[in-house]
Amino acid sequence: MRSFLRKDLLVFWRDRKEVLISLLAPILLIVVLNFAFSDLFGEDAEGLDIDLGIVLEDDESLGFEQFTETVLGMDLSEEEKEAMIAQASSISPGGLMTSFFSDPELSGWITTRELSEVDAKEKVANGDLDAFVKIPDGFTYDVLSQLMLDQPAENALTIQIEEQSTESDTIHNIISNYLDTLNFQFALQGVTDGELQDPILPQGGREVIEGVESFGISQYFTVAMSFLFALFIASTVAMKTTTEKRERVFNRIILTNSNPISFLMGKTISTFCFVWLQLMIVFTVSHLLLDVFEGKAMAFWFGAIIIITCFSLAVAGLSAVFTTITLIINNTDAANGAFNLVIMLFAAVGGNFFPTQGLPEWLQKIGEWTPNGLSLSVFMQWTQFGDFQTLIIPMVKLFVFFVGCLLIGIVLFPRRGRA
Amino acid sequence: MIETIKLSKTYKGKKAVDEINIYLDEGESVGLLGPNGAGKSTTISMISSLLKPTSGDVKLDGKSTIKNPAEIRKVLGVVPQEIALYEELSAYENLKFFGEIYKVKKNVLEQRIQDVLDMVGLKERQKELVKTFSGGMKRRVNIAAALLHNPKILVLDEPTVGIDPQSRNHILETVRKLNEENGTTVLYTSHYMEEVEQLCKRVYIMDHGKVVASGSKAELLSILSSEDTIRVNLSETSDELIKKIKSLEYIRLVDETSEGIRIICKKGANILGDLVRAAESERIQLTNYQMETPSLEDVFLHLTGRTLRD
Repeated sequence: MRSFLRKDLLVFWRDRKEVLISLLAPILLIVVLNFAFSDLFGEDAEGLDIDLGIVLEDDESLGFEQFTETVLGMDLSEEEKEAMIAQASSISPGGLMTSFFSDPELSGWITTRELSEVDAKEKVANGDLDAFVKIPDGFTYDVLSQLMLDQPAENALTIQIEEQSTESDTIHNIISNYLDTLNFQFALQGVTDGELQDPILPQGGREVIEGVESFGISQYFTVAMSFLFALFIASTVAMKTTTEKRERVFNRIILTNSNPISFLMGKTISTFCFVWLQLMIVFTVSHLLLDVFEGKAMAFWFGAIIIITCFSLAVAGLSAVFTTITLIINNTDAANGAFNLVIMLFAAVGGNFFPTQGLPEWLQKIGEWTPNGLSLSVFMQWTQFGDFQTLIIPMVKLFVFFVGCLLIGIVLFPRRGRA
Repeated sequence: MIETIKLSKTYKGKKAVDEINIYLDEGESVGLLGPNGAGKSTTISMISSLLKPTSGDVKLDGKSTIKNPAEIRKVLGVVPQEIALYEELSAYENLKFFGEIYKVKKNVLEQRIQDVLDMVGLKERQKELVKTFSGGMKRRVNIAAALLHNPKILVLDEPTVGIDPQSRNHILETVRKLNEENGTTVLYTSHYMEEVEQLCKRVYIMDHGKVVASGSKAELLSILSSEDTIRVNLSETSDELIKKIKSLEYIRLVDETSEGIRIICKKGANILGDLVRAAESERIQLTNYQMETPSLEDVFLHLTGRTLRD
C-alpha cells in the first residue's frame, strides 16, 4: 500500500497546475470575498467609525418653563398639575439624546460633537462629519407637550446627511429606534398610574453575550471556502483514476496480482493527506493575510486541527466512493459530472455558498448531514464557545461517514479489469 | 504451456472473438496477425485474465485460468497497446512502482530495474519524466515495465504502433533477444506483416474474430502453392480493364496498386496473352509484368479478401 500511496502523492504533486489551483484558488477567493463583503455585512461594529454633529438650538429650561405655564393654565386639580410638572422635570429629551450617544457602547464607534448649524452643514458637505442631528428650538416643550398633554409637535428632530452610506443609515436607525423606544416608555408610564420611572433607552452597538465570541464574516468565508475546495479534491483524485483506467495502467496494476484494496487505500490516504495539507495551508495563509482568527489561544488551534483532520477523513472517504464509481462505470465524463453535482449539492446544502443561519431550521439540519455542513457548523460553534464537548459527537459522525464511504468503496471495487 | 479452447467474447450480441483455439509451447515465439478490429486485443485481454470470456477457456499448463487468474498473472508480462505508465513519474519511478507491486524482492529490484532499462536502452535517461519522452521511448519503458518480474510468457499487443524506425528496431531486437537468449515465450500481436515474419516461428491469422489460418510461415505460404501472384504496371488503370481481367476464369483476385494491378491467379495459367489483349482493347499500355514470390500479406489477402491495413 505504501507504494500506491507514494505513487499517488507523487502524481498529484507533479501536477503543478492542480496543486496551484487547489491552494491558490481558495486563498484568492477568501481574500476577494472578504474585501467585497466585509463592508456590506458590517463585519464588526469596530469597522464603523461615525462622526456625528449635534446642533442644539433648544433651550431646555425655557421649554420646561413654557410647559409649566401651559400646565398651570389648564383646568386640572392642583395635585394633578403638581404631579405633571414633577414628572416633566425629570425628563430631558435633548439630554437623553446626548447622553444616549455618549453611552460607552456607542461612544466606541460614534464620535459626537456639539456645533452650530452653519458649521455642521459645512462639515457634512466637506465630509468631516457623516451627519448631524438638529435638536430644534422648542424641542423640549414639544416633546413634553406631546408626551404628557397629547398635543401635536411642531418642531421635529432633523438629521442631515450629505450622501447615503452605511454610516448614515446606521445613524438614522439609531435615532428612529431611540424615538420609538422613548414614545413606548412614556406610553407605558401612562398606563401605570403615571408612576415616575426613568425611561429605559435602547441599547446601541453589538449585543455581547458573556463567554461567547462572534463568528465573523471573514471567518465564515475562510472556513466555508476552504471546505468547499477540499471537497473538490475527492473528485480530482477520482478523475486521476480515469486516466489510469483509460491508459490501461489500472489493468497493469491488476496483472501484478496486487490487492485491489491497496489501490483504493492509496487513493484514500493520499486524498486525506492532500486535503489536510490544503486546509492547513489555506487556514494559515488566510490568517496571516487577513488576521482571521485574531487573538485565538492555542486551544482554539488545537480544536481547529481536530475538525480539519476529521473533515479530511470524510473527504478521503468520499474519494474512495468516487474512485470505485470511476472504475465501475464506462462513461467517465458522466461520472465527473455526477461528482461535481454531488459536491455542489453538498456545498449548497451545507452552507458553503451562503450562511444557512437565516434559513429555516429544518434546512440547517439537512445541511448538517453533509460532512462539509457539519464541519462548518462545528467550526462555528468551536470559534464561539470553545467547548471541547461540542466537538465529540460531530467528530464521531465524520469518522463514521469516512468508514461508511470506505466500506462502500471496498465492496463495490472491481476485482477484474474491464467487465 | 498456454492454450485457449473455443475462446469467445460477445459484446452486445456481436461476437468480437469467435471460438478461437490457439496454443503456445514453452520458448516459442508466436505471431497473432490481423487487421484492426480482427479481435486480437480482445483475445490478448482474455488470455491475460483482464477480460472474462463469454465462453471457452484459457489453460496454463493444463489448468484453467478463468477462475484462478493469479497463477497466469505471475508468469505473464503484458505490454499493452497503450502507454500504461504514469506520465508524471520518471522512467525509474514508474519501474520502481511496478516492481514493488509485482512484489519483486527489495534487494533484487534495483538491479532488475537497471537490467530492464539497459535492455530497452534507456538507462541514461531513467531519471527523466515519461511525459518528456518521445513515443518510441515511452513504448520502450512500456515494455520494460512488463519485464520487471522476469515473466516466462511475454504478450505484446502491437508494441510498435506509431513510433520511429530506430525505436521500432530496438523493440524488435529486444523481443528477439528475450525469446532466443532468455527462452521467454512470446505472443506478438501486430498488423505489420514484416515484424511477425521477422520474429515469429508460428503465426495465427485472425479476421472478424476468427482464426482463419495458422502454422509456420512455410505452411501458410503453401496455401498459395496453387496460385501465382503477378504484379502488372500500367500506364493507367480503368474499372473496365479490371472488370475484363476479373472475368477470366483462372483469375482469383485483382487488387489495384499505386502503379497498376496485382493479380492472384491459378498456378501456371497463361495470363500474359489475355492481359495484353485486354489492355489493348482499353488502349492502356502495359509497362511492366512481374511474377512475385508470395508473402504472408498475399496469404492474408487470399484468406480474407482484404489487406492487413484495411
